[in-house]
Amino acid sequence: MELIIDQVGKCYRGNVWALREFSLQLRPGVLGLLGPNGAGKTTLMSILATITRATQGRVLWNGTDLAHDPNAIRRTLGYLPQDLGVYPHLNAVEFLEYLAAVKGLDSAVAHRRIDELLNLVNLADVRKRPLGGFSGGMKQRVGIAQALLNDPELLIVDEPTAGLDPEERVRFRNLLSELSGERIVILSTHIVSDVEATATDIALISRGALVAHASPEQLLRKVEGKVWEYVVASSELNVAKQRYLTSGAMRRSDGVHMRVLTDQPPAGAQPMIATLEDAYLFCLSDHRAGAAA
Amino acid sequence: MKQFYLLYEMVRADFLERVRRYSFLLTVGAALYLAYSVSAEKVWLVVGDGYRGVYNSAWIGALMAVCCSVFFSLAGFYVVKNSIQRDTETRVGSVLAATPMRKSFYTLAKTISNFAVLAAMVFVVMLAAFAMRWLHGEVKQISLWKLWSPFLFASLPAMAVTAALAVLFEALPLLRGGVGNVLYFFAWTAGLGLSVNGVNDPTGLQIFYRSMHDTLKQTVPGTKEGFSLTIGGARAVHTFYWPGVDWTAQILLARFFWIVIAVGIALVAAAFFHRFDPAYEWSFRKKAAQAAGVGNGSSGTVNPIVTTPASVHLTPLNRRAKPAWPLPQLIASELRLMLKGQPWWWYVVAAGLVIAQLFSPTLDARRGVLVFAWLWPVLVWSRTGCREERNGTQRLIFSSERALLRQLPAVWVAGVMVALITAGGFGVRALLAADWRSIESWLAGAIFIPSLALALGVWSGTSKLFEALYTVWWYIGPANRTPGFDFIGVTSASSDPLFYFLAAAILLTAAYLGRRARMAYV
Repeated sequence: MELIIDQVGKCYRGNVWALREFSLQLRPGVLGLLGPNGAGKTTLMSILATITRATQGRVLWNGTDLAHDPNAIRRTLGYLPQDLGVYPHLNAVEFLEYLAAVKGLDSAVAHRRIDELLNLVNLADVRKRPLGGFSGGMKQRVGIAQALLNDPELLIVDEPTAGLDPEERVRFRNLLSELSGERIVILSTHIVSDVEATATDIALISRGALVAHASPEQLLRKVEGKVWEYVVASSELNVAKQRYLTSGAMRRSDGVHMRVLTDQPPAGAQPMIATLEDAYLFCLSDHRAGAAA
Repeated sequence: MKQFYLLYEMVRADFLERVRRYSFLLTVGAALYLAYSVSAEKVWLVVGDGYRGVYNSAWIGALMAVCCSVFFSLAGFYVVKNSIQRDTETRVGSVLAATPMRKSFYTLAKTISNFAVLAAMVFVVMLAAFAMRWLHGEVKQISLWKLWSPFLFASLPAMAVTAALAVLFEALPLLRGGVGNVLYFFAWTAGLGLSVNGVNDPTGLQIFYRSMHDTLKQTVPGTKEGFSLTIGGARAVHTFYWPGVDWTAQILLARFFWIVIAVGIALVAAAFFHRFDPAYEWSFRKKAAQAAGVGNGSSGTVNPIVTTPASVHLTPLNRRAKPAWPLPQLIASELRLMLKGQPWWWYVVAAGLVIAQLFSPTLDARRGVLVFAWLWPVLVWSRTGCREERNGTQRLIFSSERALLRQLPAVWVAGVMVALITAGGFGVRALLAADWRSIESWLAGAIFIPSLALALGVWSGTSKLFEALYTVWWYIGPANRTPGFDFIGVTSASSDPLFYFLAAAILLTAAYLGRRARMAYV
């Protein structure tokens, strides 16, 4: 099972490039696709989900080019788009039955699978309620269930935790980890903690370009020895922010505790254990500096 | 002063948002086409016993203003009846609802911005009227006052009423959707009927009728009564000189009365406007909340997602266990989707019409019932082809295997099934009587209607176009038995099944191409 994204680019009207020469090679596991808003994540997800065509480059699913045979990937694709639409008059079972039919699943298989999925996302007791009355979190769970209907080998989830409360977010992340197994899961998000908990691999994307593709450990190693914390007076906060790449600032009784990323720490700074958020900020800042130069 | 500024900003933002959409270009295009049709003498105004006015400024202005008043008060309604809906969809409404803005202020602002859009359409025709006067004028002298005053005093008040009615229909939950779209057509027809019967009407037809007829009577004493706006119909054979309407204070006051009425309608709309309160958005939300126990002391929350490893058990899917012929299953799903959400009384009426078809004693009576039986499911058909866009499920559907070749035909077949079932009584009787001519017409209608719905839905992305066009077509064709428009074949003379089989094939091809254009891959 292999997904190859080879030099993919996407240009929208007005010569706006959302993605440029983007390459990745994926094997089973969870890929956290991390990037700021407008980085090109959703465009990439749309290309992989066969919603839109790449302007340049190619995507190969188990050796088959998407442009030649999009159904090769569609057969084994589970896709949870960023803004999930539902039919408000249908209940959860009817909606999933409908999508199972669209995906070409046998009805007997689909019924069993829908029962299991509704239990999994814990919507079994509201299975007969119209979706129009569901909350955002509940709709998102229906979205997860529909993405898993055809037991996908490739599961694409685009900003899945948007609109979920913190507890549901944690649960959803755990669910993704449990589901990964022998499939490729692409989790697109701008929330670092979502990726931290689940991803076996991380791809950082910014301004349509791949900034880094590495394991979480490799990314963390990039900022090892660069994370420091020191205390400044409130009045010096702005100056400190301008001088250092800041990944956090916390007000305490003795002043503002600044968490900064630098090779040359200020006097009195204490070394800190690097987090993925530090690595994310560092890589993006590095990339922007490189692009500016 | 601050209130005026706020009103101006609201109207301006709404107007700009509309005119910067592609759909506005289509609207302007339609207005230009109307102007072209008049100047190309495809639309006629005939007075008395086959008379038209000499093409001077007054006649051209009146002719085009009448066209604006009549056609834009119908088509324009459907064009602007989405201002509140757009604020809901863009979620701007939620922001507005949290401001101190009064409901009446909002509905008034929406009425004015609706009016601005309609007035822009009228303005396009006003310019075209000038061009027509220049090209077709049969009298040398040009009077801008006589050319444009009919637009100002007849068309614009009509547009004001149309704009306000669009807001009222949007504010009323029952009329917000397809029911309102269909009902408006009949209200519009009734309104035109009033003007013919000599009542002061918003379109201003009566003013032109009286003035033209009085002039004609002086020129040709003993001429017949008559005033008709015809499309491609019998042309006028004689001409007479008409100097235009004398806009007296009394007439102007009567026209101003309609602007006051429009403001009144906008204020009435405020009483029904629920300020984007989601509790009023969906009727089933209340039912769902009741089912969940909300409002009865229960929290209404659901259990969280199961995440313990032991509980995550999904039976692996055997990919070979796919149905050999998945279409019937998909058609059944599409049919259920189509019919889901209809109230119980909808089925009762549909069943009643089927029974009436079965037991009507004569073929004519059965055909009469069939005409109504195929108006009843208009809101069921109107969602085909655009349901995915309306509900935001395109990404799910379009990323499915062979969506274009499976789902689109399934939607169409489901639509045909609705047509066949709702006209089942007629079909059974025709089969029993081996009346092949009726069966042919019955099948042509059953295939044509869903094809039209699908093509319009796919290309427009909205159900409104089919609801409006089909209702008008139904009224002109089957209801009035007009040859060429009668897709049901109500009479042998008006029936033309072969044409509608052919039209269905063209529409299906259009639907396929439209959907294909929206998908990255087939």
